[in-house]
Amino acid sequence: MLLTLPAASIALVVENRGGFETIANQLNRRGMKAHAPAAIVGKSGVKHEFAFALEPDSGKTKIVVDTELSVREVDEMKVLKFYVKVFDVGPEKAVLCVCPKLGERAATLAKEYGITVLEDDVPRRLIPMAEKVVNEFVGSGGNQ
Amino acid sequence: MKEGKKKIFPVHYAPGKKLFHIVVTISDAPGSYSSILDLLRTKVNLIGTSTYTRNDGTAMFSGFSEALTPRLTGKELEKLIMSSKAAISVKVYEGEDGLLVDTFHTGFVVGDEVYVLMRRDGLVHVFDRVSKMLGSGGDALLFEEGMAMSMRNAEMMIRNVGAERVRAQMGVLNRFLAAQGWGEIEAKEGPKKGGFTVRIDDCFECSADGSSRRGCNFMRGYLAGGARATFGKDYESKETKCRLRGADSCEFQLTPS
Repeated sequence: MLLTLPAASIALVVENRGGFETIANQLNRRGMKAHAPAAIVGKSGVKHEFAFALEPDSGKTKIVVDTELSVREVDEMKVLKFYVKVFDVGPEKAVLCVCPKLGERAATLAKEYGITVLEDDVPRRLIPMAEKVVNEFVGSGGNQ
Repeated sequence: MKEGKKKIFPVHYAPGKKLFHIVVTISDAPGSYSSILDLLRTKVNLIGTSTYTRNDGTAMFSGFSEALTPRLTGKELEKLIMSSKAAISVKVYEGEDGLLVDTFHTGFVVGDEVYVLMRRDGLVHVFDRVSKMLGSGGDALLFEEGMAMSMRNAEMMIRNVGAERVRAQMGVLNRFLAAQGWGEIEAKEGPKKGGFTVRIDDCFECSADGSSRRGCNFMRGYLAGGARATFGKDYESKETKCRLRGADSCEFQLTPS
């Protein structure tokens, strides 16, 4: 994917990665087990990468977050690509951060799959949006 | 004699040749097949033939052939074949411009199950596309689909021959997959208790390019599903060697989980 993005976008990908690391560090300081990026082995035995994940010491993965940055609307294949990883890992919550936004069919698919979608024209704004969703999830007892 | 791949003839191309597909319903009495062959040998060169019995006490002969003389017609062949007491009915299809396609049969039946035949290379490229489009999720999807297919196949086999026989004759049943072109499978006791080491030579899944993949996830799932259906417990399935990673053959470790 990196090869298809212009240099400015590569910088944004790196910046977003740093943003997720900050969220993970904050949660880890509160005694949780968060990773950014995260590599999780699914039921199939295949290892999947996510931009961020919150895992308990044992048992079901709590939340996974991924990003899709594009110069145009993100299509349904990207949603499907995220979903099959989510299906294999089986987290309680799945969040897809999208820049600029999902196409109509992609949005329908994400809704069908129960994926929480965060959209913004500016990639760096997605980090605080994701942080808010993660904190709300943790605050609602999602980390028990 | 060395084992090998069976040749079948749904299509044949021989530019400049006059080609016929000869289909004959014959009595299944001894000698019927040879009497038809005796009649045909003076008129055509048989490229490939097959015979199979039917439930009504008759048998079918199907043969792809090249005419020995360019003036030979399908009607002449039909008349010749019907002069044999062994022939019950006949239909001869003529090829066009050196191309002969089986227009009589509409698929394949193994036991009571209908099968579909497709190019290995074509199927492998579907797997490549799935992996390329969906990344690690595609690999997981192939594993899941392999497992799901295997569970259905194993359940069918258990219904037909019984669970005990499936467990006792795994080696023979693995030959069934080999006969279908999946690869030559050899299973033996694994290093961990209750586990298996499975080696596959000529594994179909890594028989073509596979540039998007690093392993045989469909087959990995297929073996896990087969073991689960046969032995009634879950198995962890790992591919420890693969031709896509430079090995000569594929090797899997199945361990009870």
